[in-house]
Amino acid sequence: MSMADLAPSVPAQTARSGGLARLAVAATVALLFAGGGFLLHAEQQGQVIALLAAFVAVFALAEKVPVGRRIVGLCRAHPGTVNLTAAVSILAIAAALREEHYTLLMMATVALFATAAAGLTLQMAFAGVPNFAGAAFFAVGAYVAALLGNTGIPHLLVLLIAGLAAAVLGLVLLLPVLRTRGHYAALVTIAFGLLLRAFLEVNDVLGGPQGMKVKSFSLFGLDFSRMTEIGPYDVSFYLPYALASCALFGLAFFLVRRLETSFVGVALDAVRSDEVAASVFGLSIARWKATAFLLGNAMIGVAGALYGMMNGFVNPNSANFGDSLIMLSILVLGGLGNLWGAVVAAVVILVIPEKLQAIQEFRLVIFALLVIAILRFRPSGLMPRAARDFSALVKGGAK
Amino acid sequence: MSPLLACSGLTMRFGGLTALDALDIRVGKGETIGLVGPNGSGKTTFFNVLTGLYKPSAGAVQLAEQDLFARSAQEIGRAGVARTFQRSRLMLDQTVFDNIALGALGRLDLSLLSALVLRGRFRRQLSELVERATALTRRFNPQIAANLFKPAGSFTMIDRRRIEICRALVGSPRLLLLDEPSAGMTHEETRALMDDLLAFREEMPDLAIVLVEHEMDVIRRISDRCIVLNFGRKIFEGPFDALIADREVQTAYLGGAQ
Repeated sequence: MSMADLAPSVPAQTARSGGLARLAVAATVALLFAGGGFLLHAEQQGQVIALLAAFVAVFALAEKVPVGRRIVGLCRAHPGTVNLTAAVSILAIAAALREEHYTLLMMATVALFATAAAGLTLQMAFAGVPNFAGAAFFAVGAYVAALLGNTGIPHLLVLLIAGLAAAVLGLVLLLPVLRTRGHYAALVTIAFGLLLRAFLEVNDVLGGPQGMKVKSFSLFGLDFSRMTEIGPYDVSFYLPYALASCALFGLAFFLVRRLETSFVGVALDAVRSDEVAASVFGLSIARWKATAFLLGNAMIGVAGALYGMMNGFVNPNSANFGDSLIMLSILVLGGLGNLWGAVVAAVVILVIPEKLQAIQEFRLVIFALLVIAILRFRPSGLMPRAARDFSALVKGGAK
Repeated sequence: MSPLLACSGLTMRFGGLTALDALDIRVGKGETIGLVGPNGSGKTTFFNVLTGLYKPSAGAVQLAEQDLFARSAQEIGRAGVARTFQRSRLMLDQTVFDNIALGALGRLDLSLLSALVLRGRFRRQLSELVERATALTRRFNPQIAANLFKPAGSFTMIDRRRIEICRALVGSPRLLLLDEPSAGMTHEETRALMDDLLAFREEMPDLAIVLVEHEMDVIRRISDRCIVLNFGRKIFEGPFDALIADREVQTAYLGGAQ
């Protein structure tokens, strides 16, 4: 890199210019969400294909043309505007599609898998601890919800307990995971996932292969499955689930971003990139890997609990290896460490195969080609993580 | 007065190989030691033992009266020993600031509570650290200071080496171990880096430095005292002029004429 490239960058100045830039960012984000909303709702193949083409074009061009680069830079410089617009867009989509069961179910599923991906982000993208048992921890959350749903414990507390249970169960894995690295640690987690599934299948207390019913989520006495109208509007009972799932993702997003933009984030990155350097400078590798692993599993467990309550049942098959791989694909496809990337990837992986139903089994071919194309042309994911820039947090700027 | 670092009988065995053989090495406050010796003589092993990456087999290590023998890398790091590596160990995708911050993390507030909720303390520490990193890098190269939030990988080799030294200095260590700072650099770059080292030497008179180097020019310019290792044993200790005249050292480096 030459000295010219090292000159103070444009975003630092635009950060101050405010208004117009924020408007552009808000418009871009709203447009992307509108596209996502249409995709969720689209039923004609023609529409789906057109939206897919638009999606491919956006990601192919985003960093090729100057306007695209500028908008990406602006979005990175105004995270607050991005998040606010995203929240408003989600509410708008939910309001517009309030009666559509299936669409809202997809929306909730995407949000919950993205929440699980947030947990995996802490583990894999930050601390570098592989976890190929995401679905297992997800299922643990759902089983806890099944066991405690009828006991009269407030359901918000049940979610919390589900997260704790997933973290505690993760403790079993902690020692072998800390003592191994890379492929070996990955194998340990795969083995754990298989073990847990086998255990659930043979265990009659937990319903054996049939699994268990899960009571629907109720918040302050409001049973989500009985909610069919809000004020004068008829709504799908999936609407509250979609909103709660998005709120849960919002919370996970907040926690992960806070950790990332703190010294804890620097410590986790150092532990992942170079254990030798990290330990020479006084960091305990075990402490940080354990912290990320337990916190991550807790997030996955909470998401799994809400997912179980929404579906109304959970069985050992929920803990299958394939679903763990789906969670990992969301992480890798979206760009390791970027949670908005995880959302986009969750849409690609969970929604697109459903939307291509009409062409039968060929949909899997198209889906597979899309995934390969993404990894071929954007090897670091759809939305790669940007380097941490603390300058916005320092009063008066660093320079 | 007792020395800052006192190693006695320090021994490191890998199976049947004795990599460090009963080393006695003392480094005083503010002293610069040039550590030389042929490849495989145990210089980097000595650093790795001192920083806790290897657990020594026998001997004693004390830093300012504190026993550091066979302690963990974390404990030793926090006691005030910092180092650079022969092959750069920067996180190239991360910013210069993140890399330098690593050197200070051991002393910063790393609790989850202040990362997530009570951000005031974190922000204060961040501002201080940014200021310190800016001042430190500016001394080496103003271009680094002006681009603190650019990825470390976008800098030239010599700047990366400077960033590594800043990372080692930011935690105000008592003992700095420099492992071949001139490796892979041109003569001009080496000279520039030596000028930097001598300049900050004057500003941190109490800092003790041990420097591993193959460039004799560097050793001559910088070190107060030289130590020569061969097959894990100390074969010479004294001023540079005596070193180049020493027969055993010549034999170790060039092979002996029988």
